[in-house]
Amino acid sequence: MISIRGLSKWYGAFQVLADCSTEVAKGEVVVVCGPSGSGKSTLIKCVNGLEPFEKGEILVDGISVGSPKTDLPKLRSRVGMVFQHFELFPHMTVTQNLTLAQVKVLGRTPAAAHEKAMALLDRVGLRAHADKFPGNLSGGQQQRVAIARALCMDPIAMLFDEPTSALDPEMINEVLDVMVELAQEGMTMMVVTHEMGFARRVAHRVIFMDEGKIVEDAPKEEFFGTPRSERAQQFLAKILHH
Amino acid sequence: MGAVVGTLRTAPQRWLARACAAYVELFRNIPLLVQMFLWFFVLPELLPERLGDAMKQMPPPWSSYVPAVLCLGIYMSVRIAEQVRAGIQSLPRGQSLAGTALGLTLAQTYRHVLLPMTFRIILPPLTSEFMNTIKNSAVALTIGLLELTGRARAMQEFSFQVFEAFAAATLIYLVVNVVVVFGMRRVERSVRVPGYIGATAAVQTGH
Amino acid sequence: MFAGFDFDVIERSLPYLFREGMVFTVTLTALAMTGGIVFGTALAMMRLATSAALAPLVWLAGAYVNLMRALPLVLVIFWFYFLVPWIGGWLIGARQTIQVGAFWSAVITFTMFEAAYYCEIMRAGIQSVSRGQQSAGYALGLNYWRTMGHVVLPQAFRNMLPVLLTQTVILFQDTSLVYVISATDFLGAAAKVANRDHRLVEMYLFAALVYLVVSYVASRYVGRLQARLAVIR
Repeated sequence: MISIRGLSKWYGAFQVLADCSTEVAKGEVVVVCGPSGSGKSTLIKCVNGLEPFEKGEILVDGISVGSPKTDLPKLRSRVGMVFQHFELFPHMTVTQNLTLAQVKVLGRTPAAAHEKAMALLDRVGLRAHADKFPGNLSGGQQQRVAIARALCMDPIAMLFDEPTSALDPEMINEVLDVMVELAQEGMTMMVVTHEMGFARRVAHRVIFMDEGKIVEDAPKEEFFGTPRSERAQQFLAKILHH
Repeated sequence: MGAVVGTLRTAPQRWLARACAAYVELFRNIPLLVQMFLWFFVLPELLPERLGDAMKQMPPPWSSYVPAVLCLGIYMSVRIAEQVRAGIQSLPRGQSLAGTALGLTLAQTYRHVLLPMTFRIILPPLTSEFMNTIKNSAVALTIGLLELTGRARAMQEFSFQVFEAFAAATLIYLVVNVVVVFGMRRVERSVRVPGYIGATAAVQTGH
Repeated sequence: MFAGFDFDVIERSLPYLFREGMVFTVTLTALAMTGGIVFGTALAMMRLATSAALAPLVWLAGAYVNLMRALPLVLVIFWFYFLVPWIGGWLIGARQTIQVGAFWSAVITFTMFEAAYYCEIMRAGIQSVSRGQQSAGYALGLNYWRTMGHVVLPQAFRNMLPVLLTQTVILFQDTSLVYVISATDFLGAAAKVANRDHRLVEMYLFAALVYLVVSYVASRYVGRLQARLAVIR
């Protein structure tokens, strides 16, 4: 589904990503972890073209992200993204947040879009808040709405950029539960996160990044059990003490 | 004058602050052109006979120059008062408390602690105000003062060379603009206090 | 001090002052504000363009804004008053200049002039909307124009509303400068009555009072609006 080959990116003279390659098959859940500044957020933002890149190739469902001939908005409408800071549109109600792109990009009728929005709000347990503004919701609620917003577009894959990093601890689980459900239903997911519990539960593979390089890319049992690289071992030792 | 009024607006005595606020609001809410007319046409009539006649009998160009200077002076002082007030209020409250704790009187606190920092902070917006006054001087052509734009208009009416006259005036304003901006930047650099990030001025409205 | 003044002249000319003069002023303000904000927002978007292909647009918009901000409004009024008939004639291929009245010349002048100031305000407004919002719009598949129109600009506008309104109050006061092209705005009407009846003091004092009251009330309203918006955020 997602294929990254030889991806390299520079910010001016500073190299942010160095020759990254990996594949995410359909229905696979891949967790990307690593220390701050390792480039994991940048990597995932390159997948849907939010960040440009200088070298390498990314294919999503066979379509090349870097090619100038690609219709990026169309591709992005098929790949859902959830951000660290939720990024709900504050001047619109929850329902309007969910229906905007459906109507404008997918061309659905407002009625159909509304129905879909309600169904998805039900699924994340927030139907009662449909007419509220994001400012009236808690962080956990906002993030669940953000997930629903992405799902309204019927994506073929979902990208998560540290979805729980900005949440208070008691709200992390409500969001992770939604993500676990999504994984169990067979959604192709690429998740940047520090939540190793989540990774252990539903991930198929874990990628560890450091200083812009993919240091380890292994099935989860192997990663947690016998990590090959020393850096990954150090990282695991530190964070698994929580 | 502007510095004085602006400072007084932050004075602890409420009546003083309010009086200055009223003064500022008066001159901010009347268009500059109307103020110009008031100074030129109306003031001589309202003054006691002798002063009024003296004003009316001033030979040109002074008859236009003096009211224009007074008008622009007060207008600019009011705008500077606002900048000074904003500057003083942007300083951390601890500054004036520290001054008082050291035993300085209110006046001394202002003189040695608050005002020096205020002026450095408001130097960029002050540059704007200076530029504004240069531009506002053009309004004085309506009371017969032949400043830059007025001269261009007179040339245009005399010679029908519309574009040349106004183009020349335009160029001169642009050159003055550039010179002032560069000059003020040098002044800013020479009085800069290391490590102090001045209060970000609100987006520059008005002209 | 006020002996010998005939304040009745104000009462007698009220209908004329307001029906002709104030209507002119208010209409001019409204049209220039609308046009200025639209053109100003377009200029702001041009100045913030990032793609290399649009670099000349960035420069052009920047040059325009800096030019308008460096010149006195009086001079710009004269420029447009003489320029617009020429350009209009050239555009429609006429051999002579077309007649443009003082009103429309003023509308064009003020729109183009204020646009430079509204541009800077909207530029700050657009930059005040977090980049994540733009990313979220793109991630949903919205293209640049849809993202700007549905996500960024509505928020930018809301954020800058008090500043935009303050600029409009300034615009209201500046319309008095159409005096130099002999247009009959509120001040122009007052001046006409003043010169016809030799009642300069009464009329100019009255004009000052009206401007004072309107501007003051408007700024107080904007201040209250600003306080309310600050609470909501």
